[in-house]
Amino acid sequence: MTGPILSLRGVSKSFPQGGLLDRLLGRDSRIVALDAVSLDVMRGDVVGIVGESGSGKSTLAGLAVGLARPTSGEVLLDGQSMAELMRDHAGPWRRRVQMVFQDSSSALNPRKSVARCLGETLALRGVPKAQRDSEIAELLTLVGLGPEIGPRLPHELSGGQRQRIGLARALAMKPEVLIADEPVSALDVSLQAQVINLLSRLTRELGLTLLFISHDLALVRTLCSRIVVMRKGVIVEEGSCLDVLDRPQHPYTQALIAAVPKGLAGRRTPLPVRAEAAAPETREDIHGAA
Amino acid sequence: MSDLRKALNGLDWSGWLGAGIVGLIVLAAIFAPLIAPYDPLALNIEDRLAAPDASHWLGTDQGGRDVLSRILFGARASLSVGIGAVLIGALIGVSAGIFAAYKGGLGEQAVMRIFDGVASIPLLVWAIAIVGILGVGPLPVGPLLLPNEVKIIVLVGCLFSPVFARVTYAVAKRVAGADYVRARFLQGASHWQIVVGDVLPNCLSPIIVQGTLLVAIGIVIEASISFVGLGVQPPQPSWGTMLSDARSAIYSGEWWLPVFPGLAISLTVIGFNLLGDAVRELFDPRSEARTLVA
Amino acid sequence: MSAALLSVEGLRVGFRTADGGMVEAVRGVDFCVAPGEAVGIVGESGSGKSLSMLAVMRLLGAPARAIGGRVIFDGEDLLAADEKRMRALRGRDIAMVFQDPQSSLNPALTVGRQITDVVRAHRGVSAAEARRIAAEALERVGIRDAGRRLASYPHEFSGGMRQRALIAMAIACRPRLLIADEPTTALDVTVQAQIVDLIAELRRELNLAVVFISHNLQLVAEIVDRVVVMYGGKVVEDGPVEAIELAPRHPYTSLLKACVPSLTGPVGPLTAIEGAPPRLGRLPAGCPFSPRCPDAAESCSHQMPPLIDEAGHRTACWRPR
Repeated sequence: MTGPILSLRGVSKSFPQGGLLDRLLGRDSRIVALDAVSLDVMRGDVVGIVGESGSGKSTLAGLAVGLARPTSGEVLLDGQSMAELMRDHAGPWRRRVQMVFQDSSSALNPRKSVARCLGETLALRGVPKAQRDSEIAELLTLVGLGPEIGPRLPHELSGGQRQRIGLARALAMKPEVLIADEPVSALDVSLQAQVINLLSRLTRELGLTLLFISHDLALVRTLCSRIVVMRKGVIVEEGSCLDVLDRPQHPYTQALIAAVPKGLAGRRTPLPVRAEAAAPETREDIHGAA
Repeated sequence: MSDLRKALNGLDWSGWLGAGIVGLIVLAAIFAPLIAPYDPLALNIEDRLAAPDASHWLGTDQGGRDVLSRILFGARASLSVGIGAVLIGALIGVSAGIFAAYKGGLGEQAVMRIFDGVASIPLLVWAIAIVGILGVGPLPVGPLLLPNEVKIIVLVGCLFSPVFARVTYAVAKRVAGADYVRARFLQGASHWQIVVGDVLPNCLSPIIVQGTLLVAIGIVIEASISFVGLGVQPPQPSWGTMLSDARSAIYSGEWWLPVFPGLAISLTVIGFNLLGDAVRELFDPRSEARTLVA
Repeated sequence: MSAALLSVEGLRVGFRTADGGMVEAVRGVDFCVAPGEAVGIVGESGSGKSLSMLAVMRLLGAPARAIGGRVIFDGEDLLAADEKRMRALRGRDIAMVFQDPQSSLNPALTVGRQITDVVRAHRGVSAAEARRIAAEALERVGIRDAGRRLASYPHEFSGGMRQRALIAMAIACRPRLLIADEPTTALDVTVQAQIVDLIAELRRELNLAVVFISHNLQLVAEIVDRVVVMYGGKVVEDGPVEAIELAPRHPYTSLLKACVPSLTGPVGPLTAIEGAPPRLGRLPAGCPFSPRCPDAAESCSHQMPPLIDEAGHRTACWRPR
């Protein structure tokens, strides 16, 4: 009973490259997006998966949630093979893993109101019609929105509100595992913090297992207990979040940490000498730090 | 409802002009029996080839039939072919386009290549060639006898389907890849629910624009095949057969015989084109900024 | 003030709405850039930061247009200049680098052709000389084997290399001012660091004045001398980078700093700014930040606070911190 809730065993995913003609002539090559990746996620873990474009982190998310099938290897959900589960497309297992998407403008159907979007989701979970309205209100409260949002269309919402609705839609299925693929990277800085705090609170309160896919190391540090660093389809480093970020072993992790903007502490050009600026000793402190 | 009101508010003057022309012609076609001053088929040898005057506003033809009445009744043939063909073409093309975009893989390739093949030969050439082969008159399909006009509608509709398929495919490909479609899939929604509830509604705008523009082309095709004698059969009035009958009149001076049916065709085509352009403008994401700011 | 290379005074940009009205998105913005100075303009979406700089370059497209103020570049009012004069200035004296390197390059032309076109248009040199300048510029931005790379098409470049090529195009005519609009937002973090390094280096070597537009205060603070913080179409704070980083006076600036987590220090809930950035046309009468401001008094929403200058550090706030 204490096994991992989500487990990847030597999972690879490759995509064919080239057009139909190339394929017919046998000239096609394949792009390997994920190369024999193994990963165990325990119940209640909050795992950050970091990497740059081409690292395979989004491919991994798609496999973990059952959007795609691995080319080889196996994905297990609570010990059961995902490939087996996927035979029953709408099976009860669907509820157990849900996803929050990156781009809040394409994550919601532009022609469906918030209430309809959530209502349809509840219908698929089998919630009777009479209870849906009250559940919608509960979901909206859960993500910090009021019931007045219900009749609105996505374009009438702010980016932060859309992302909350995306989260509410995933939670409407009452999942055990939530996979969030760059959920805040399209948001304004001041809204990122709101959504991150919300994710953090909900994970705790609902006992969710969270896979947080991001390129932002500082956000991962705030939210996650474990971190997995990926590069070119393989995991280069993983471990406790604070351990890895404070004492990175792999040169790539070190490079990622070095690339995070650090404000004055990461100063690349000397500060201009300013007669009227701050007190002299303060300035010297800054120079010393840089 | 509010969508429609917003759409009407967004129309510019040329859009209104197009909508006005199309509206008038549709009304004329529907109420032709009420507003036509004469029976379009009634021969009247005494009055043959009368120039436009107070009793025959647009003159009469070689059989003494009233040109205005024939144009009003001819609008029925033109519009039913134009609109009917667009509906049939949309039904086939939209289904195929969405299927290809949503299914992907070999099915996608097969469907789209077939439509590409059909689309590689001009519409009018196809239309005349096929009607030529099938022959004039009703077409027996199994136990059914397809009336001549329905045959033409179905034929032109089939020829329109590649246009709809390609337009639909292009937008459906994008919609099918959107995260909200993925989210529905992850909730366990059936393919049918996803296609009807999420993919199709978000593909409608370009399909409607294309449909409006194709009505105009359908009208020209009907006129063309009727002109060469393969379409609507005499004595039934059609703008194409009227033009065809007027060929000799060009030399003998009865100018009203070719001019008025020709004007009717041009006006209708212009009307649908203006309307189509205005609808396109309305759905254009760039024009979204205007409503966004307001 | 007279020594400024670029001086923006009371700039206002408006959008014409469908019903013939006008919505102001930039509502009286003042700041200046001295020769060789690097200024960061920081703000969220809708703050008017990009629109202001597009207005400076006279690149606003309908329905947006500059409806007031002056943009003085080297003593000349750009808003009053004719289009011919602007074409001569753009690319030669003022260059701009945009966010998306993908769409800023023409995919059908070689990178070399696109750089030499700019060089020939502005410097009237021979084709061979233009190629030499282009190769030199590519080399300058750190593209190896520049001579051969001139013949490459944009799709043969990675995202970071494309942005380097665009910067090469921008500096090829030796401009005095480089405007970089979120030049690293579309790039990976490690590439972002390289591009920021490159801009810092070029600025030093070419004595280039730089306006760096970004939503990321931490990033901007690594290379600029002065930071202009914008919110709701207004400048809310403008000061030396040390002051903005260490002792911000406007509550928005200090909250903006606080809501970005760091890689060091204790882990805990992030400081969040409640609410969302204001939408166009729905701006409050007073301070645009007042609805979200924890320090706001009732009076803050009635009247816009003036931008008060204290020893080169300007703040527009009724209750500065």
